[in-house]
Amino acid sequence: MNFNRWWIPRRTVQLSILALIASPLFGMTFFRGNLAAADLFGIPLADPLAFLQALIGGRVFVLSYLGSALLVTFLYFMLGGRSFCGWICPVGLITECADKLRRRLGTGEATMSLTANRWSLTLVVATVAVTGIPFFEVLSPIGIVSRSIAFAALTPLLAVAGLLVVEIFVSRRVWCRSLCPLGGFYSILARFSPVRVGFIASRCTNCGDCLSACPVEEVLAPVLERRAVQVTAGDCSRCLACIDSCPTKALKIDLFHT
Amino acid sequence: MNPDISHPGISRRQFLKGSAITPLALLLAGSGIAAVYLRPADAGGFTLRPPGAIAEKRFLAACVKCGKCAQACPYTSIKMAGGEAGVGIGTPVIIPRDMPCYLCSDLPCVKACPSGALDKKLEDIEKIRMGTAVIIDRESCLSIRGLRCEVCYRQCPLIDKAITIEPRHNTRTGEHTIMEPVVHKEKCVGCGICEKSCVLPQSVIVVQRTVAIQKDSYEF
Repeated sequence: MNFNRWWIPRRTVQLSILALIASPLFGMTFFRGNLAAADLFGIPLADPLAFLQALIGGRVFVLSYLGSALLVTFLYFMLGGRSFCGWICPVGLITECADKLRRRLGTGEATMSLTANRWSLTLVVATVAVTGIPFFEVLSPIGIVSRSIAFAALTPLLAVAGLLVVEIFVSRRVWCRSLCPLGGFYSILARFSPVRVGFIASRCTNCGDCLSACPVEEVLAPVLERRAVQVTAGDCSRCLACIDSCPTKALKIDLFHT
Repeated sequence: MNPDISHPGISRRQFLKGSAITPLALLLAGSGIAAVYLRPADAGGFTLRPPGAIAEKRFLAACVKCGKCAQACPYTSIKMAGGEAGVGIGTPVIIPRDMPCYLCSDLPCVKACPSGALDKKLEDIEKIRMGTAVIIDRESCLSIRGLRCEVCYRQCPLIDKAITIEPRHNTRTGEHTIMEPVVHKEKCVGCGICEKSCVLPQSVIVVQRTVAIQKDSYEF
């Protein structure tokens, strides 16, 4: 295990998020809320998709809420939209751990197309517009996990457990890869993000280690086939596991250029 | 029939594993989750929301389930609903018999709400309309039975406005007075302190959905 690697800061951030959500239980006051909406050191933060659903379904508009949703949107845009999935989301952390178990068992190799999350995002927006039910906020495993930490609401975790069974035995990381509407939202955003994974073709030995490390290996195809010099697909979660896995340092953090 | 001959290259097992199980399992998981969570939020009757909550149907969409109102509540009156609440999962509820709303004058729950599900235009606690207290069991109410209870009246934060005592002759004994507590819905904020305070094992006064004040021609 090499400790000069990206997984260390990434795991640290993921675990810090869990600690932040739990912090009010221990009488700490610098963090309030969860990933749908929060205050961190007095800075209001908001999930832009939750904002959209509240706006469309609840017909409520609060300027400060729009501001905090835009702030979060801007931050994720700069870092690459799905960096939320790779670094922040507690469900991402849980399904990553389940995926390690799945690899040991050798089950559930089937994968689903990455583009399905655009459709689930469309479904969520259409549902809230037509019925007024904030479909994703109701079903969101992110909310379920957050509330199970902050309010010890444990029963709804059964839905997350069901999801893990599907992921372990049927289809690899299917929720995060293909179904999560929030992932769909951020992947649209991330297409144009300035921070990307870059590729140095002269160093690549085609060993394929990056492909097996990457949770969304489809995004690496254009660079490995020498059709691009950067990973441009919005589905890249900037987990940087490809950089960690590359034995010849052919992958690096890069800024947008053509 | 030998599957190796009729389907060269792919066995039935592989076919099922590769293409049929994934959508089937997803369908099962999806419908299971939907059956649990896509129930109507008011299946259990009226839900008491924190102060300033907008109309229930819009509230269900406007609330982003962040829990900041519950974290702001100094009395832990506000709880987050679980799966039993259907589409209301994760929304804030007040169960007065556990802990009613004590009507903080600075309304920290309303201030904490980011999305406008709790309306920040609400500043005066007497303008809160969470619900209305109703005596649902007159036969059990100690005061109406002629005893001197009146605990709900004494505990009401809007004493003599939201609950008054209406004395009348006790015809059963012929020589006493019945001191009946009467709720006035135009003043009652629905905080549930009366429901909490009722001394009987099951509260006879309960916060329910506010019935709009009805206009009629019998003004007097």
